[in-house]
Parts: sequence; structure tokens; C-alpha cells
Amino acid sequence: MDLDALLEISNQCIHSEPPVCVASCPVHMDVIAFVHEIEKGDFAKAYKVMETKIPFSRLIGKICDHPCESHCVRKEVGGSIRISELEKTVIDLGYTSPKKPLLMPKNRGSVAVIGGGLSGCVAAIELDKKGYNVSIYEKTDRLGGSLWAYEAQGLERAIIEEELSVIAKKGITVWYNTEVTEDTLQHYIEKYDALYLGTGAWSKAYAIHPETFQVNDTSLFIGGTLQTQNRSSIFSASSGKRAAVSIDRYITKTSMSASREREGVFETKLNYKIDTVEPVEEVVKTSSVYSENEAIEEVKRCLKCQCDACIKACVHMQRFSITPDRYIRSICHNERIVLGNRSANLMINSCTECGLCKEVCPLGIGMGDIIHATRQSMVERGKMPPSAHDFALKEMQFSHSDSFSMVRKQPSKEQSKDLFYYPVIAFSQYARGLYKGSGKTGYLFYPGCQLSSTHTDYIGEIYKHLVGVIKEKEADNDVGLYLGCCGAPADWAGRVDLMPESIEKIHKTWKEMGEPTFILACSSCASTFEKYLPMIKTLSLWEVFVRYGLPSVDIKKGKRVLSIHDACASRHNSSVHESVRSIVKTLGYSVEELEYAKEKAKCCGYGGLVSNANPEQAKDFVQDRIHKSAQDILVYCAMCKDAIVKGNKRAYHILDLIYGDEMNQKIPQKMPTLSERQNNRKRLKHKLLKEIWNEEERAVNTIYSFSLHLSDAIIALMEKRFILLSDIEKVVDHSLTCKERFYNPETLDFLARLRVNNVTFWVKYEEHGSDITVKDVYSHRMEVVED
Amino acid sequence: METKTETTTPWMCDKCQKALVSQKVKVRYLEGNFEVELLKCPTCNMVFISEALALGKILEVEKSLEDK
Repeated sequence: MDLDALLEISNQCIHSEPPVCVASCPVHMDVIAFVHEIEKGDFAKAYKVMETKIPFSRLIGKICDHPCESHCVRKEVGGSIRISELEKTVIDLGYTSPKKPLLMPKNRGSVAVIGGGLSGCVAAIELDKKGYNVSIYEKTDRLGGSLWAYEAQGLERAIIEEELSVIAKKGITVWYNTEVTEDTLQHYIEKYDALYLGTGAWSKAYAIHPETFQVNDTSLFIGGTLQTQNRSSIFSASSGKRAAVSIDRYITKTSMSASREREGVFETKLNYKIDTVEPVEEVVKTSSVYSENEAIEEVKRCLKCQCDACIKACVHMQRFSITPDRYIRSICHNERIVLGNRSANLMINSCTECGLCKEVCPLGIGMGDIIHATRQSMVERGKMPPSAHDFALKEMQFSHSDSFSMVRKQPSKEQSKDLFYYPVIAFSQYARGLYKGSGKTGYLFYPGCQLSSTHTDYIGEIYKHLVGVIKEKEADNDVGLYLGCCGAPADWAGRVDLMPESIEKIHKTWKEMGEPTFILACSSCASTFEKYLPMIKTLSLWEVFVRYGLPSVDIKKGKRVLSIHDACASRHNSSVHESVRSIVKTLGYSVEELEYAKEKAKCCGYGGLVSNANPEQAKDFVQDRIHKSAQDILVYCAMCKDAIVKGNKRAYHILDLIYGDEMNQKIPQKMPTLSERQNNRKRLKHKLLKEIWNEEERAVNTIYSFSLHLSDAIIALMEKRFILLSDIEKVVDHSLTCKERFYNPETLDFLARLRVNNVTFWVKYEEHGSDITVKDVYSHRMEVVED
Repeated sequence: METKTETTTPWMCDKCQKALVSQKVKVRYLEGNFEVELLKCPTCNMVFISEALALGKILEVEKSLEDK
């Protein structure tokens, strides 16, 4: 993994970009922190926020010409937040006298500040803090310069004096009544390491560097009105601060320009959208300044502008309270770690890779691809926690095995001749389709492993329908059937090594079959094909239904309203979105769109194998999806239905509308267990071979000499702990055969264990003859050496 | 791996009909190899692991080794 390239992406994330008020403030007062404190009613802390960035904040806060307000995002929706007015209230209510200044050793060099006005005083204090021996030369008998113009016009004399007295308290030398002119300037240049010129007027117009305020590469730096060319107090203060940074860099011979791009006013990359912002008018003050309550009311209007589109949309980022920029840094840390804990592993395995973050990001930054690459890297380096995806990968192996996997051409005319008699041939489109068999497979129906697990009994019906409708229109093209797994679980798990097993097999079959078009019923299959098998032409089953016709079904008008939960893997397939909606409407239902639909589809929590790696996170995804839908949900992905039904929300697969009757039943819906899902796949193959191809398989199930009894509580435990019935059977069988088991004379229970591959399963049971009642199941991956 | 496990239990080895004894047992996972006190049959060496141990300490150690 190219971690540097990754960090580049992290730098593009604008979550931490400042709002425009902060960017347009020459000293970058942290407006969001400021309003947060006011909102809490903590005016003392709000003052501290001002003090951090604004020099002489008690004075400038009262007279600041607030460039922030003219850029405020609220401007067009109720008027800018009155930051300048808020500052006045904060000073009145939250000012606390500063701690006694720490006297620093002044050994870094000497600087003369010409002009004791606002910018000069700011520069002097900043340089003093940095350890310079500063002398101010002021032509009048007092400091403050233009600040005095505000006396009795916003500022009180006593407060101006009190604030400026900090110069003396810090031990900065002030030469009053000492005018420096162009003629005497050279003397000071020679005497000091650097000079700051902050007089309001000067006889010679020097060329001032716009970023560093240096004059050529001399020791002379110019700030204040001479540099800003305006009367703004905040720009003047800012120039004093920035010149002090330059002087320090000049004297210490460090780069004058490095990392200073955003020192003054800058353009933030944050572009806060106001489309959905309700206008709220500014709070009108009832006296000369906002009262405490008025200030609190006014800050409530602040939008606290920040880009959090992805966080708002994604419960994964919410659960780990992380933003893409920090997420990427965590990944880099996790990747680079040599000794110690890879603490981001769980987080990395809790992303569904659904791609929604990329959809909603104004910059198109997506975590999906990054997480995907990270998982691959973890696998390559042997650092992927085995428990995260083990169960799903074993499931995939099962689907690849002969227990489920099979490919058949359309039954030949010879095989089907029993159907070719009246009235079958007259009334069955399927029989007519078979009769037109050409021997050339134009289409291959690939229902996928999940639909086959959960909607087993529909598959044969769909296949027959496809043969019927397709052959009606395209006599040349037979329709074959292919049961298997596309390899999506391996892809999600970052197991590049396992992909060829799926992909090469599919590719070989496609070639052998004469390159047919695949008809896919699963969105994840579709995205796997697109990614790994782009040469294969595919159609979704839903598109085929629209193009060739729906199975005949009783269509009643005015059926209920459904909300469509689009499959995240199909987010960019508008043809799928439209086909599904068209079918639903044709069948007589109306659709209430969800907020996050189509290209903004939210994942059900199965994507990225999250339900395996972090079931709690998967639950968040389901809850997030269902709590915003008043209607029952319509899905077109078997896993989505499984997840939503398990979240206790009624959901129907689009095929349920055609082939099922769940819609009309009031009883709670139930999805097959993990064990039933495997068994269903096995059963499906057996049934299809028998009913459609007239082939008998050898016995597919192992017959045991005992009968297992499992309560609902035990079945629930098995689901939670990813333990299959077949695992329990193996443990019990082994214990009965080898007598390897523990016995509890108090409860009369037996406890047996068996290591199956890399997991040890434990089963506690009661034995009555051949009846075995399971009382507990658990497992561990740690291997115990028994010798 | 440090564990505090049950040192007595009503469970006994069904095959050998022996009470279990607490002894050092080798366990391993990924790159971790440990010796821990566990209950086992003194005759056939079959090691007893309770649900509480499997889902408690053992799971915790498995997870921490997976993140190493």
C-alpha cells in the first residue's frame, strides 16, 4: 500500500477545514469554539478563546471591524451572526485579568520597534514572548497610537491604559518622545538584529514583501497601516503578529516562507451548502450590547459550519466517531506498526465498503476503496484477524463445493419430450420454450448463493419462467442455469488469493457455454462480475423481467405503499433502479422513496462482511436503515431482506411480490438460520437436478445414529456464535463414537469437544437413548495441546 | 497468558471415569504459545474448557493476538 498517497487523500478531506469566518479573520479567531462557549453560557471560556488569537483582545474585541461577518454563511439566510457584538458582550461578562506575565530570558537577539501604535505593541509583545530583547521607539509620550481615536467611542481611557501597561510589566524598554526618521533609520538598523517599522506614516515608500513584510532581504520589516494601507485595527494587529514571525525566522536564519500559506486571510476549501438551512433572523439587542440571554440566543443561529456529510450518512463513522482524515491516519498507523497493537483492525473490518461516503463527499473522497486496499494489505502481511471473515469464507467454500455448485444447459428436446403433448405444450410457456431448444446457450441464469439460501423455492420457478419468455422472443437462445458463488465474500475479506477460484471457474464455464449473457439476481454478484469479469455481458433479473415479461401474477390495483431499499452494490446501476420500480408499480404497489435511495443507497450491514466481523456494527446499519421508514420495505437483494427482517422490520424481496405470500400474512417473518441456509443450497441443487434435468444425486446428507433436539434458545445461540448444526453433529458423533467427553454426575449432562479445522466446538448435551438434547454450544479458536 | 480458572469442578472424564486435575497445559494461537493451568483428565489428558473460560479469557487472548 502506498501510504504516502493515502495521506495525500487524507489531506484533501475538508472535515477539519475552518469555516469561512475563521478563514477571513486576519488572526483566525476560533469562532466555532467561541460560540460553543457562549451557547453553554461560559463567557469566561469564550473570552479565553478570543484571547488565544486576538492580541489586546479586551480592546480589539470592542472595536474590531469584523471582516468575518461579511463572509458569514448565515448572511443570506437570516443575516450574518453578529460576532463583533458577541465579542463585546463576552468582554463585559467574561473578561478576567491576565496572569502575571512570566519574565522570559531575553537572549535570542535584539529588535527595535519603531512606532508604539497598535501593530508596534503587538509586534513587541510577540517578539518578547519569543525571547527577544525589544525596544520601542515612540515619538509621542504614550503608546497605543490610533487606539486613542476610540477613546470614549467604544474604549474607556482607563482600560486602554491598563491593557497597554502590559508592555512595561513585561520589561520591554520604551523610548518615549523619540522620533525615528528615514535619516536616522540606518543607525537603528546597525544597532539591532532587526527592525520593525510600524509608524502610521513614513517619508519613503519601501517595497514590502506581501507575505513576510520584509524589505528586500534586509533586517527591516514593515507592518501596521504602512503595510495594510487601511485603518482596520484587526489587520493592523495581524500584521504586527506576522512580522514578528518573520523577524524571528530572519534572526534564527530559518525559511522565511515555509508553512505560512494560511497565515493571513485565506480561502477555505469548505463550501458549506445552505440549500436546506432555514432562515433565522438575527437577535436584535435591546441595549447598547447584547445581554447574556440575547448573546446565547444569537449564537444558536450559528451553523458551526463544518463538512460532515459522510459522518451524517454513515453509522460506521458514527460508531467509531471518526472522519476520513483521521481514519486514513489510523490506517497508516495500523499499517506501519511493528510491535504493539493494531488497534484499528476492528474498525477497518467494520466498514461495509458500500461507497456512500464517496457519493456524499463534496470532493468525492471514498473510504470503500481505501478500506478494501487496506484489508488486502493486512491479508498479504498475515495481519488480518482470522476470526473476522473465517465463517463467511467457509460458507463461500461450501458454495463452491459440489454441495451447491452446478452448471446445466437448458434441458434438451430429447430430455424433455415427455412434456411435448397436449395440453401441456399448449398451456406451458416453459414446455414450449424447451420444445424450441436450440442447443446454443444464449443466457445463463446465475441466482447467486444468497438468494438460493433464502428464497430457495423460487429459483426453479424463475428458471422455468426465463426459459418460457426468452425462448418466445429469441428462439435461438437457450437458457442455462449456474449455481455458484461469485466470490464476493473473498473480495470483501481482502483475500485476493481466493478470487481466482471463483473467477476462473466462472470464466471457464462462460467460455465452454459459448459466452452466454449472465442473468444475475444479486447486486453483489453484479458488482463482482463488473470488477473481475468485465468481458461477460450481464443483465439483472429485473431488467429481464421488464424486457421479456413478468411471470403471470394476480395484479390488484391499490395495493399498499412500499419503501424501496436499494442495494448498495447497485448504486450506480440506474437501469436496475428503474426496472425494480417499474416492476413494483406494474404489480400494483406504490412507492414511497427513502431519503437515501438509488445512488445514495445505504447498506443493510451485510456488505463488507460486517455482520461477520462486527455484528454490533451491522445492527447499527440495519437500525439506521429501518427507523426512517414508516412503510414496509421492498428489497431486491436477499441479504438486505435477511438483515432488515432480523432488525424486526417487515421486508419483502421483489420476488416475494411475484412468487410468495408473505405479503398477506400477519405472522412475524422469519429468515432461515445459517444451517438452514446451507441446507437450502444443498436441497436446491438436488431438487433442480431432479425436477428439471431428471438427474438423481447420490445421498447428500450424512446419516447419524442419533437425533438432535435443539430449543429456540440454542438455535439463537448458534446463530450468534456462528455455529452450524453440522458442527454440532460432528462433535456429538465423535463423542459417542470415541467416548471422548466429560460427564457431570450432578446434572447428568455430557460435554464434548471436537476441533474442526481451526475451531474447537463444545457441545453440552443430555443423552436419552438416541435422543440428544443440546443444552449449550460454544467454541474457541485457541488450540489446546493434549499430550 | 495468565488465567485464573476453576480448580475444582463436578465434571469428570467419562471415558476414564476420573476426576479432573488442574495441570499446566500448552495452548497456542497464531504466534502465541503459552502454558496455562487447566483442568484435565489425569489419564487420557483430555482438557476441559468451560463456556466462561472459552468466551472470557480465551476469547480475550485470541483477540489480542489477532491484533498483534
